[in-house]
Amino acid sequence: MSASDARSVEPSHAAPLPGNPGEGRGGLKRPRPRFPALRRLLRDPVATFGLALVLFAVFVAIFAPWLAPYPEDAFESHILQRLRPPSAEFPFGTDNLGRDVLSRVILGTRSALLVAVAVVGASLAIGVPVGLVAGWRDGWLSELLMRVTDVFLAVPQLILALALGQLLAPGLTTAMLALALTYWPFFARTVYAETRRLRGALFVDALAGIGASTPRILLLHVLPNAAPAIVIRATIGMGFTILTAALLGFLGVGAAPPDPDWGLAVAEARQHLPEAWWFPTFPGLAILLLVLGFNLLGDGLRDIADPRLRRSRH
Amino acid sequence: MARYVLRRILLALPALFGLVLLTFVLTRVIPGDPAAALAGDSATPAQIAEIREKYGLDRPILEQALVHIRQVLTGDLGRSIFSGRPVTEEIAQRLPATLELTFAALFLATIIGIPLGLVAALNHNGPVDQIVRLLSVGGLAIASFWLALMLQLVFAMDLDILPLRGRVDVDLGLPPTVTGLLTIDSLLAGRFDQFRDAVWHLVLPAVTLCLPGLASIARFTRSGMLEMLQKDFVLYARAAGYGKFRLYAIYVLRNAVTVTVTQIGLLFGALISGAVAVEAIYDWPGLGTYAVQAILTADYKALLAVTLVVGVVYAVVNVLVDVAQALIDPRVAEDVR
Amino acid sequence: MRRLALLLTALLLAAPAARAEAPRPMVWGDSLAATLDPHAIFDVPMQYILLNAYDGLYRYQGNPPRLEPWLATGHTTSEDGLTWEFTLREGVKFHDGTVMTAEDVVYSFRRLLAMNRAPAAAFSPVLKVENVTAPAPNKVRFVLSTPYAPFLAAMPLVAIVNSKLVQANTANEDWGAAWLATHDAGSGAYMVDAETYRARTSLDFNRFRDHFLGWSHNRNPFDQVRSRPILETSTRVLALQRGEIDAGDSYLPTDQVDRVERNPRTRVQKDETMRTFIIRMNNRKPPFDNLDARLCFAHAFNYEGFNNIILRGFVIRNPGPNPNSLWGNPPDLAPYAFDLAKAKEHCDKARAAGAPLNREIEIHLQSELEQTTQAAQMFQADLRRVGVTLKIVPNTWANITASTTRPETTPDTWIHWVSSYFIDPENWIGQMYDSRFHGTWKASSWYRNPRVDELLTRARGSLDQAEREKLYQEATRLVVADSPDIWVYNTVNLRGVSRRIQGWNFSPVGSGGELRTLWSEQ
Repeated sequence: MSASDARSVEPSHAAPLPGNPGEGRGGLKRPRPRFPALRRLLRDPVATFGLALVLFAVFVAIFAPWLAPYPEDAFESHILQRLRPPSAEFPFGTDNLGRDVLSRVILGTRSALLVAVAVVGASLAIGVPVGLVAGWRDGWLSELLMRVTDVFLAVPQLILALALGQLLAPGLTTAMLALALTYWPFFARTVYAETRRLRGALFVDALAGIGASTPRILLLHVLPNAAPAIVIRATIGMGFTILTAALLGFLGVGAAPPDPDWGLAVAEARQHLPEAWWFPTFPGLAILLLVLGFNLLGDGLRDIADPRLRRSRH
Repeated sequence: MARYVLRRILLALPALFGLVLLTFVLTRVIPGDPAAALAGDSATPAQIAEIREKYGLDRPILEQALVHIRQVLTGDLGRSIFSGRPVTEEIAQRLPATLELTFAALFLATIIGIPLGLVAALNHNGPVDQIVRLLSVGGLAIASFWLALMLQLVFAMDLDILPLRGRVDVDLGLPPTVTGLLTIDSLLAGRFDQFRDAVWHLVLPAVTLCLPGLASIARFTRSGMLEMLQKDFVLYARAAGYGKFRLYAIYVLRNAVTVTVTQIGLLFGALISGAVAVEAIYDWPGLGTYAVQAILTADYKALLAVTLVVGVVYAVVNVLVDVAQALIDPRVAEDVR
Repeated sequence: MRRLALLLTALLLAAPAARAEAPRPMVWGDSLAATLDPHAIFDVPMQYILLNAYDGLYRYQGNPPRLEPWLATGHTTSEDGLTWEFTLREGVKFHDGTVMTAEDVVYSFRRLLAMNRAPAAAFSPVLKVENVTAPAPNKVRFVLSTPYAPFLAAMPLVAIVNSKLVQANTANEDWGAAWLATHDAGSGAYMVDAETYRARTSLDFNRFRDHFLGWSHNRNPFDQVRSRPILETSTRVLALQRGEIDAGDSYLPTDQVDRVERNPRTRVQKDETMRTFIIRMNNRKPPFDNLDARLCFAHAFNYEGFNNIILRGFVIRNPGPNPNSLWGNPPDLAPYAFDLAKAKEHCDKARAAGAPLNREIEIHLQSELEQTTQAAQMFQADLRRVGVTLKIVPNTWANITASTTRPETTPDTWIHWVSSYFIDPENWIGQMYDSRFHGTWKASSWYRNPRVDELLTRARGSLDQAEREKLYQEATRLVVADSPDIWVYNTVNLRGVSRRIQGWNFSPVGSGGELRTLWSEQ
């Protein structure tokens, strides 16, 4: 849908809108600074803020057991100290089973990120091959693949996730399965569009002409050129997945207690409102900040790649 | 053009058929026993077996699938396992509530999102643009269930200025059902008190639901505007000293909005799906709460029907959007994939 | 266009319409049954329909519950306990004005037995359709296949429907099921407004002025009661505090009691009831086929901490299967105590005997009921201290009960309540631990003890109250010694209600949902 090539962005290009005609197609090598995308990203304060949030969350997730003041509160309960307000001892207060909310928010970062990575990874694993194969050649296979993609796109994501989460053994695995099942079509669509666009490109014809095999062209030449679009979709998908997984946790078909899941914490906190305001507030803020981080980062990347890459629904 | 429209509709059919199959497969993975759920609280094993037979739950899976497809094609989505009533009837009672909420959210998203996008584009890369961007991206980052709780606590409980839940005050009763949309039915009945109350009840759920849509619309408007501002005719008109207001308001905005309008259609489907969580918290008697209840009662017939109905709405809206796009820009029709 | 916008703005800003002076109808926020057909479903929400739109031959009144003649004036039982004859009250009118006769009672029982849905379970083993007859216009005769002591206790389960009305609305030999799902055909104190009925979202009751009891007992009853069930517990409590509803459900979280009491508009109606909280163990599945493993679990639950700290003492420790306020319990029954050292001892013994206590053991809870989650998490933390790993699986009532039809699919452990469907030990120990009920959720621990089976069968067939008392006491002792499940507490019914509502007439059956005696202070 877009005439501009994602890789056509030049760091020196001052105009707000890249994509002028005559810009080089991807695949052409020319000298340029290293990590141009990163440099351009860092020049954008909002996107940099997003990157910082994501990196901070990754740091917290990796070192969670050492950062959390009471790491055993992932599963312990101390019913004698239930629902204490924030204090020096418990900066975010305690929950309905006397567990430290700060510790649980920190410990929850890990599972939130893991779920997002797993879902996006699985969606990539299904969506990218489907998109490549369907986009490369016309024919019944392409038609069939895209029709199947359409079917999954037409399934209301949340309702499918709810249904699967409840009908299969409810739990985090099922929720992840449901999310991946409904998210891969977005990757398939993205890769399909990119492949369709690239297969007519001059360098692809040239490669075919010198006898390069189809898998080689697809994997070594088409895929790298589609990468920016995929990376953007994946970044936004991370935020979206975290949000939906939290919602499933909230509705009781995602993470199971005593997981320190943020959505679950908000659900457990509901009946202690408004007295125990700290109980839902901090997990809710954690969701907000992490998703915001991914979205700002994705947004920044999208601006770099192509401000008109906008047929996105999330 | 007619051929394109026809082709687009034909293309949607296999997807819908696939959806019917998929929903059936999904409901057959239930580990429990729908017959036991149907028999009720204090049923004996003999009663459960009898129900299994009566509802054909003991037949071969392929036969059940064929029966299912034939029923769906004839518009018969079966009876709710739980209430014993036709699910089409139950859904028909609830769909208008969801549609009303979705329309309201879409309305809010549009009237707020378009101006926001415009302001941002006109201040491109300026501080206002960055703020709008932060807000619109932030709108997509807020967990709707969390926001809903916070809004309830602040506006309904603390400030006590907006209703907590539901569609209309129970004392006011309901207007006679014509469209099922309370805001319209109350006006048709001349009940302005009901109308006002219905609008009040819509505020919090619609605000909660509209945020992601608002963010996307602001974004699309912004980039649509930016694109337009780069067009030769605009650059030329500006160079020729054309009135700035006239230029923006008439040419640029109109072009930018047509791009946005097609996005609104796509958002519709997403909003209907997002309504599940919002409905559950605001106790909105729509399809979302129906789905949640169906899950709690293992009512797979109802769940299947909700998935189908939302899927169909989604597919229909997508076709309409594509057709609208083709009408606006005939080149789309030529470039069918 | 602009004028329309102005008009809309004006409408929105207009002052709220003046409210009528008449007392505000009562708004009921408890959940609604999925259908209005009283012979199709039998659960706690259905009691609300049963008690208000319908009448039965007998009804439970008061607390502790007494069984009172209702549409019947009395009954006689034959020497062998098989033939029961009920004399009907004269001049009872259905909502459409038709006078009730024995034909209606016979039709109701036939419909119940022919449809054979959940409410029929208490009768179908002992009662054949052809054995319900009307020897006279005001007499109904039941001839049972075998003696069945709880027959009378279960009588209030059966709603008497207007046979002419139902027959007139019968299609495809469905016993009027399609019609009765959305209409009422009863004689109860309140009538369903079928026009405004929306399944599970709204039900309006209008007072039935010609109810057979008259209204002299209530000087200011509600002419209208509107049911607007609220799905989420916390929304329900907030709506109650705002005055949007006049009564919540009967599971008010104990953490909310103080807040509801502090509100000038609301209070908590507290009633001792008969609803036991229990953690089931699947006795068919290792490690729970081992007595020591079960005893280990029974000693690892912190009863004191759960009942008195988490639930703030709003419940009463219950040592066995029957509610402690019911007859049939041994007076000296000692409850299991929380003792991790003892639990460890039993677990070690079980492990030595080869019980697989090192595998992950699942506990299924009803995710919409917060209390089950709290109990499971506390249990999990304590079991960890004796080296047992509990895995929490959020689930729903419908899913779990669907899986209890076979021992292989029944969860390792799960949490639920046993409500009062009828007031007799048969409702608890009888249906929970007699192996003839295997395959139903009530018997989902798959416990089998031939001696207990024999005692329970004899108790069911005996009409001698003293003998039954003794049999149930003995059965209870045996069951408690085998520790098939973990009995935690008997409930105090907590319902958040508006202070303007007076005249609560609580009975454990139906959790106090009878509207007939309620009146408004206004």
